[in-house]
Amino acid sequence: MGLIQIFNLARVPSILMLGAVYGAYVLVGGVIFWKLEGDLGREDISAILARKQQVLQTYKCLNSDGIDAVIEVIQDASKAGLSIKGNNTSDGFWQFTSSAVFAATVVTTIGYGNMSPKTPAGQIFCVFFALIGIPLNMVVLNRVGKYMLAIERNICDFLQGKTRHPRCTRFFVHLISYLTGVVLFFVVPMVMFQGHEGWSFAQAIYYCFITLSTIGFGDYVADSNPDKMYPEWYSFLMASWIFFGLAWLALVINHSIDILERLNSFLNGWWRRRNGKEETNAPDDVENPDTQVEQMEQVVEPVKQLPTEK
Amino acid sequence: MPSSPNKSWLLLLGFILFYIIYLLVGALVFSSIERPVEERMRRDILDMRRDFLNQTCINASALDAFLLQVLSANGYGVSVLRNSSVGSNWDLASAMFFANTLVTTVGYGHSTPLSDSGKAFSILYALLGVPFTMLVLTASVQRLMHPLVYAPRGLFQRSGLDPRPASTVHFALLLVVTVVCFFVAPAFVFSAIEGSWTFLDAIYFCFMSLCTVGLGDFVPGEQPSQKYRPLYKVVVMVYLFLGLMMMYLLLRAFHKMADLHGLTSFLELPHCDEDDQQPILEEGPSPPPHRAASKQPLEPGSQPSYNTISKG
Repeated sequence: MGLIQIFNLARVPSILMLGAVYGAYVLVGGVIFWKLEGDLGREDISAILARKQQVLQTYKCLNSDGIDAVIEVIQDASKAGLSIKGNNTSDGFWQFTSSAVFAATVVTTIGYGNMSPKTPAGQIFCVFFALIGIPLNMVVLNRVGKYMLAIERNICDFLQGKTRHPRCTRFFVHLISYLTGVVLFFVVPMVMFQGHEGWSFAQAIYYCFITLSTIGFGDYVADSNPDKMYPEWYSFLMASWIFFGLAWLALVINHSIDILERLNSFLNGWWRRRNGKEETNAPDDVENPDTQVEQMEQVVEPVKQLPTEK
Repeated sequence: MPSSPNKSWLLLLGFILFYIIYLLVGALVFSSIERPVEERMRRDILDMRRDFLNQTCINASALDAFLLQVLSANGYGVSVLRNSSVGSNWDLASAMFFANTLVTTVGYGHSTPLSDSGKAFSILYALLGVPFTMLVLTASVQRLMHPLVYAPRGLFQRSGLDPRPASTVHFALLLVVTVVCFFVAPAFVFSAIEGSWTFLDAIYFCFMSLCTVGLGDFVPGEQPSQKYRPLYKVVVMVYLFLGLMMMYLLLRAFHKMADLHGLTSFLELPHCDEDDQQPILEEGPSPPPHRAASKQPLEPGSQPSYNTISKG
């Protein structure tokens, strides 16, 4: 292969531009977060420093070093999930059920971080556990998502046979299944979390999104408030919600990627036409919106496939 | 030719069962490793609290109220210790770092949006940013496959190796190079720069970040006395992005190798495609259009689909 072919030099400009857009996106995001959150952070700091001063002044026997020592220990303990409010003896994090939830958050790459292994043995095991578990998780969710799609497609085909407007029917079936997904994986959990965790609706929906996108900050984590009593079925329901919700959200995200890709092809085609180049075969997806919709339905596969698989 | 539906169902059930067992085994091991340490820490802290209350004039409820505030502030990354002057968690470099962890779905959580508008913006930003990041990563990896996978494999094959051993040898080489350049070397650097991290901590951090798990128990650049903090955070961001690309490249190379060895067909998993036929962001003439996909049954390999980092 020639050097140019090896490095695909002819196609470099578009990837550079994409990289530039990505860099700009992150930069703009950074600026906006800086503006939104910066002031609040400073207020928080000054409020709590004032509070600390107040405690030091009220209780004359305390000195700065003493209280700093206590605070450091408390902070470390809180990271390990220990709450020592009053005489509360919470069970800590590493019960069997919560360890199972931790294993699930590692394998789905959510990674809340409200609990994490502290011992070297735990950390090493975590690395190997994730090494095998993450691909396994991808394979399983991929297949489950494919079957979810197959169900929707069967409904679509069934209904299309009954009506005389195939495109309309398909559009409506997609719309309804999308809305069902939103209700099932966002609205219902939102209400449930608001009820059982005592969060506001905004916090609950924020938690749902951050979890299902596998971002998983860990500032809100369901089923881990030591001060609350949870029903028996709560953890199991949460686990199933995460599992199916992940499969569903991955579908939605793939649809958006596909839309972005179509946009990119469209823009390329427009650019080419504008420059007076010869009309080449536009990719199938731009020409044919129907097959595009069907193509999107297969996007659960993690990688592209041979078009001539028998 | 589609395999029998029975085998398909059995395989799916097998996968799901294995997945559940895997989680349970993991839970058992984590629990047995970490529980004793936690118990000891709890005993120590209760003793400490008792001693503190005995020696000072502060009463229990005032202490608890104060500690509650400290802990909730700490949860947002606001530390009240006397010597900590980390600067804001939301200066420009840290905010960019946060935006990056958001769109790559790593999500450390060491700093999270406090305001409602911040949370709402996070959701919108991620809705657009996550697919976009996946697109960028996938397109880059597709380009990189040529110099890093196809060319070396072609070289091996021309030197006389068969395709299968060539792909295995190449994958092993790629794995070693990736581990050295993206895990071992950065771990050395991190453990040197971050005072309190051991080498194991640093490798653990690299692995958790590059798999986008992002537990957040270790986050670079958060030490109080960090010099050149903005520059450091930007460099870490670049490292994370490149590392993600390499992980994905590795995954694809492994997939192709598994294809060659017949593993994917055996387990009825989707095949890796031939990149030369349908690159993303294609500018030249495109390949012949695919046949009408709507008539195809839903089988692996019968329809083109999208490259993703794949969370499912």
